Amino acid sequence: MEEFIEKLKLIKKGVDFENETELFDGGFLDSFDVIQIITMLDEDYEITVPPSEIIPTNFNSAKAMFAMMQRLEDE
Amino acid sequence: MTLTSVSFFAFVFATLVVYYSIPKKFRWIVLLAASTAFYAIVCLKYMPFIVFTAITTWLGALWLDKVTNARKEELKLHKTEWDSDTKKAYKHKTLMNKRWILTFVLVLNFGILAFIKYFDFLAEWISGLLHTPVLSLGILLPLGISFYTFQSMGYIIDVYWGKTTPEKNFAKFALFVSFFPQIIQGPIAIYDDLAKQLYEGHDLQYENVKNGFILILWGLFKKMVIADRLIVILNAILDNRPGLYNYYGAIAILVYAAQLYMDFSGGIDISRGVAQMLGINMAENFKRPFFSRTVAGFWRRWHISLCHWLRTYLFYPIAVSKSFLHLGKWIGKHAKKTEEDLPADSLWGGFTFMEHAGRVIPGCIATLIIFLIIGMWHGANWRYAGYGLWNGIIIFISMLLEPAFRYLLKKLKINTQSFGWIVWQILRTFLITMVGFAFDIGNNMSDSARMVLDCFHPFGMASTVPVQLSIGLKTSDYVIIGIGLLIVFAVSLYQECSQKSARETLIKQPLWLQWVIMIGCLLCIVILGMYGPGVAANEFVYMNF
Repeated sequence: MEEFIEKLKLIKKGVDFENETELFDGGFLDSFDVIQIITMLDEDYEITVPPSEIIPTNFNSAKAMFAMMQRLEDE
Repeated sequence: MTLTSVSFFAFVFATLVVYYSIPKKFRWIVLLAASTAFYAIVCLKYMPFIVFTAITTWLGALWLDKVTNARKEELKLHKTEWDSDTKKAYKHKTLMNKRWILTFVLVLNFGILAFIKYFDFLAEWISGLLHTPVLSLGILLPLGISFYTFQSMGYIIDVYWGKTTPEKNFAKFALFVSFFPQIIQGPIAIYDDLAKQLYEGHDLQYENVKNGFILILWGLFKKMVIADRLIVILNAILDNRPGLYNYYGAIAILVYAAQLYMDFSGGIDISRGVAQMLGINMAENFKRPFFSRTVAGFWRRWHISLCHWLRTYLFYPIAVSKSFLHLGKWIGKHAKKTEEDLPADSLWGGFTFMEHAGRVIPGCIATLIIFLIIGMWHGANWRYAGYGLWNGIIIFISMLLEPAFRYLLKKLKINTQSFGWIVWQILRTFLITMVGFAFDIGNNMSDSARMVLDCFHPFGMASTVPVQLSIGLKTSDYVIIGIGLLIVFAVSLYQECSQKSARETLIKQPLWLQWVIMIGCLLCIVILGMYGPGVAANEFVYMNF
């Protein structure tokens, strides 16, 4: 999780990924950042995020993103 | 039977009476019967098209569901027996099957839409290139074909993604495709948001009927009092267009923007109001778009349901596709990596330009594709492609240069939250979107470009007006337009500043005041609305989409 947050910080600098729970709904991340995160997941973790998973609840916090990542990994 | 006709409201009244008279579990059947009757009355000749879309989408979704369930059963059955490679191969095979089914339904339905909408345009274009006689299909667009096709295709994609359980009952699904208040011009609904509301019977509630009634009045006011007067001015200018641009071009663009917004949002208000009287909440399609501070923001507030559809079902699938992910990686690989850790407030937001470009260009290209589609969705003419690309290119450039703009603002110590800066952003966005609207009303690309460029003609302001333009409106009409637009502006400003619905505020007032305002609005429509003998009934602009 810590390593994952560090990678998120490289994508969008200056965002409080540890504590923020409204990353997407609160406007801290936009659709372009989401695409970057999906690229990172594909590149660094070999996880393919299908378009059906691109919903605000999956990108509102680092925890939610990590949970989605684990779920997709299990599938 | 248009949304503003007496016959439509008689139809709505009859539907309401029957809907609330029968047991709750049968009420969806009333909606289906009303929707079928409405379509038959307005567009019987082209009814086979909507029936075809409903059948193919319904069957396609059930087929997808069958494949998904068989896959689950099979994987469960061989859970211990199959190794991970066998499971992976089986999953891939079934995924490909599902993909073929989806593609088949999408191609079939979008193919019909594209064929009807673009055949004549492409045939004319090709015959112009080859100097051969023009081959014309010469058929009108079936009522609401763009809206119900997009809505149905959204449903089947949701089933493919596993977001939605397919509807087993064809009659219920047919209701989702054809629900009469939204068939004329949307909004394009998401299945999970609308279907359940359609199928469950609603109790008759005074609040729903009153709220719906207020929304209908507001929609009628915008359409019949303002939009149908503005269209007279617009037509007068556009009918005399040779040599008539300069400031008339600017006036035409402004009048068109106001007319389109009053017409489209007015129609949507009427549709949503009728649905609300039936206890059904339809999604908002406009959120005061002319208060947007960026072009991207404008498209989050204008025709919201279409933009949401395109973002969900097209933008993300394109932007996260393998080829686009590879493009981002490829640009990133060619970026010169930063040796030191750049701060977040540096010129390119903590990255080098190439790193930043690698991050945003795949999304920017997907944006351009989406806006090209938005443009062509509006009509079969290259100028509509220009309309889409104009907006797409502006967003492309603003996304690419966004960190540099932010850096510049900080260096110039501009307070981006100040009133003056916000007003400047709103005005700037307004002017950019106005240029886009010129593509909508020009005869072709060069005519649209001329209309815009002539607005800046340094010598043409008065001397080149060739004729005294006879618009055919009285002075009182201009006063009504002015006051009407001021009322809409004041209500929008209130909503924008308070972030409250004007309707919510109205229904909190004493009952006598609510009814005074509602009856006043009704009288205003009856007395000032454009209708009756000698006035051509103006169809809604988006009715022919």
